[in-house]
Amino acid sequence: MGTTAIAMPKLGMTMEEGTVVEWPVALGQHVEKGQIVLVIESEKNEAEIEATAAGFLRHVYVDPGEVVPCKTLLAALTDAVDEPFDAETFATEHRARYGPEPAAAEPAPATPAASAGPAVAAPSPARRPVAPAARALARKLGLDLDAIRGTGPHGRVVRQDVEAHVAARERLVEVEPGVGLEVLREGEGEPVLFLPGFGSDVSSFAMQIHSLRPTHTCIGLNPRGVGGSDAPEADVYAVERAADDAAAICDTPTHIVGASLGAATALELALRHPERVRSLTLITPFLVRSARLRAVTEAWARLAAEASPEAVASFLLPWLFSETYLADDTARERTLRGLAPAVARVPAATLERTRAGLEAWSGRRSPDDLGELRAPALILIGAQDLLTPDGESVGAALPHAHTIVISGAGHGLAIEEGDTVTRAIREHLASVR
Amino acid sequence: MTDRKLSVAAAINEALHIAMQTDPDVILLGEDVAGGGARDGDDVDEMGGVLGVTKGLVKAFPDRVLDTPISEMGIIGTAVGAAATGLRPVAELMFMDFLGTCLDPLLNQAAKLRYMFGGKARVPLTVRTVSGAGMQAAAQHSQSLYWITTGIPGLKTVIPSNPADAKGLLLSAIRDDNPVIFCEPKTVLYASGPVPEGDYEVPFGKAKIVREGSDVSLIAFGATVRVALQAAERLAADGTSAEVLDLRSLQPLDEEAILTTLAKTGSVVIVDEATPRCGIASDVAALCVDQGFDHLNTPVKRVTAPHCPVPFAKVLEDAYMPSAERVIAAVAELS
Repeated sequence: MGTTAIAMPKLGMTMEEGTVVEWPVALGQHVEKGQIVLVIESEKNEAEIEATAAGFLRHVYVDPGEVVPCKTLLAALTDAVDEPFDAETFATEHRARYGPEPAAAEPAPATPAASAGPAVAAPSPARRPVAPAARALARKLGLDLDAIRGTGPHGRVVRQDVEAHVAARERLVEVEPGVGLEVLREGEGEPVLFLPGFGSDVSSFAMQIHSLRPTHTCIGLNPRGVGGSDAPEADVYAVERAADDAAAICDTPTHIVGASLGAATALELALRHPERVRSLTLITPFLVRSARLRAVTEAWARLAAEASPEAVASFLLPWLFSETYLADDTARERTLRGLAPAVARVPAATLERTRAGLEAWSGRRSPDDLGELRAPALILIGAQDLLTPDGESVGAALPHAHTIVISGAGHGLAIEEGDTVTRAIREHLASVR
Repeated sequence: MTDRKLSVAAAINEALHIAMQTDPDVILLGEDVAGGGARDGDDVDEMGGVLGVTKGLVKAFPDRVLDTPISEMGIIGTAVGAAATGLRPVAELMFMDFLGTCLDPLLNQAAKLRYMFGGKARVPLTVRTVSGAGMQAAAQHSQSLYWITTGIPGLKTVIPSNPADAKGLLLSAIRDDNPVIFCEPKTVLYASGPVPEGDYEVPFGKAKIVREGSDVSLIAFGATVRVALQAAERLAADGTSAEVLDLRSLQPLDEEAILTTLAKTGSVVIVDEATPRCGIASDVAALCVDQGFDHLNTPVKRVTAPHCPVPFAKVLEDAYMPSAERVIAAVAELS
């Protein structure tokens, strides 16, 4: 006899919360160890969660559609279908041992915990203490207190916890005096640097980083003005400068993975600092931006200044993803939900400056220039990519390139074809060794 | 600067000498402040008050140091009247515990005259009084009642922790045109320390950082400054950096200094020798919560005497008074 917890996993370094998408197993039904028991979604990615032990799905704490912090208890399996089990006690014990601390502002559950059934049996709303100084600092920095672990007496969140959180999350690396960029590191092994595309942050590589971190040191760089990185006053965020920024955080030869404008940055990095580049993975690269890419980035920057992140995300969706992907209602809605917070991390001013950099760079590098590059390169292209249709010419210009065209895929390859992209990167990294 | 050391008692005596030399209107009165030393043809070494603080003054100023009958009502009533009619009296209330017998002239006359006469009256009165426990003087001679005088609008209350401040605060008190209660904590009275030569004043309403620190602020005054410094020393050995703020003046209160140290450390422990209810520690704690809320990283802690009379037995009196151990325990509760 025994009970097994199913909790919201933390699948990537930027993952703080997840949405329960589906419980494929009915309440009371038996599951085998390894059987898919839960589908969750976080930052545009869906993941199937396997049962870690066999048992009967005895109680579901969180319904599909609800968003909860990582580590939140979602359901319980019991060895026997009829063994004694108290849902509330189990939840309380689980939370005491594994967290997360209940949110400070969490309201008392509307439904009494005694009411039977899987509908609402919210964890007891013990108010988590937060020191006023911690609350004030979090408010000043715009941080969500729920994501911060409390180390004071009774789990109180104290100022030091907020400071530690800030230090951990925003390891700003100074790339030039007064300009710190957000560099997230996870995993152990050969370094792989991820360079996100126009208007994106490193969360766009969440699936790849999650998969590679057991074997590689995954380094995610948020460019100038993106996420927690500094946004120095400038008319133009030049691609060349972005490449120098990337070089500044690579102290050893590094595998570079860049998507779209991040691929342009990767190419520029390889040309300007070849000694820093061990290999290149260029996802939907370009040398000359298409008229459509210009029009889309123009509209994107304008919308970001005038509309909500949700509106920007819904504008982007049809440009980034393929017909097939958009036909899948679940995928479309999930991606929309994940895209909005990512979009919110890139302000309109950054988009304008980055766009100016993109325009200035477009056409500056010829296929002949690429002929100098020695680093082995992997080119990943979506056959239905509307924004960067000349990716194959980049592959053709590079002397040591392997090009994979993914049929039926759009521009947002790392998300739309996350597994394929991850597999291809993994094989490429292995072949470089 | 001198490294001349004096006790608090000697520093007070020096301040009285200076005040009387520089202003002929300054007089002393109280029980045994002259101690019989002024008798004609008698060269007996006079007593100078119950603790000898005013020793020698009657020889220097024979007409201006007045022994009084044993009547606190008489002393303070006389002093308030003298102050209101042109003198600048320094009255000695032998022990602060006797405040009860002479409260009316302070509460209803000294504190109110200037206000009720539209600023045309002034009461340049100083009441020196010995406060606090630590001498096994028992429940009627050991109380710290500065919270009463601090709470009366129209009175100022100051309390030094060291000889240099005692001298400067007393000179400020005597020269102030308002009634000032000057407390002399028993355990501080014979502590010695450097005292500058000459005439200087320590302004009211200015607290002083006596030890810099970054983790926790120990707010103390009078006798508890030494306790806080001892605690800070021991906390430092354990890696906790404590700042010690000496309030020096209870009314006016240096709110800015309190909020500044709170903002610096985020943690406050107030150490007060008096009983806890309606006291200075509670008052400072309220200020921290009210005005410094967003700086508070921990609960505000108070280390005070318990809500009970001061015991006579030494072991009980020692347990009654705030100690470095209790301050350290309060700091430990914060993390």
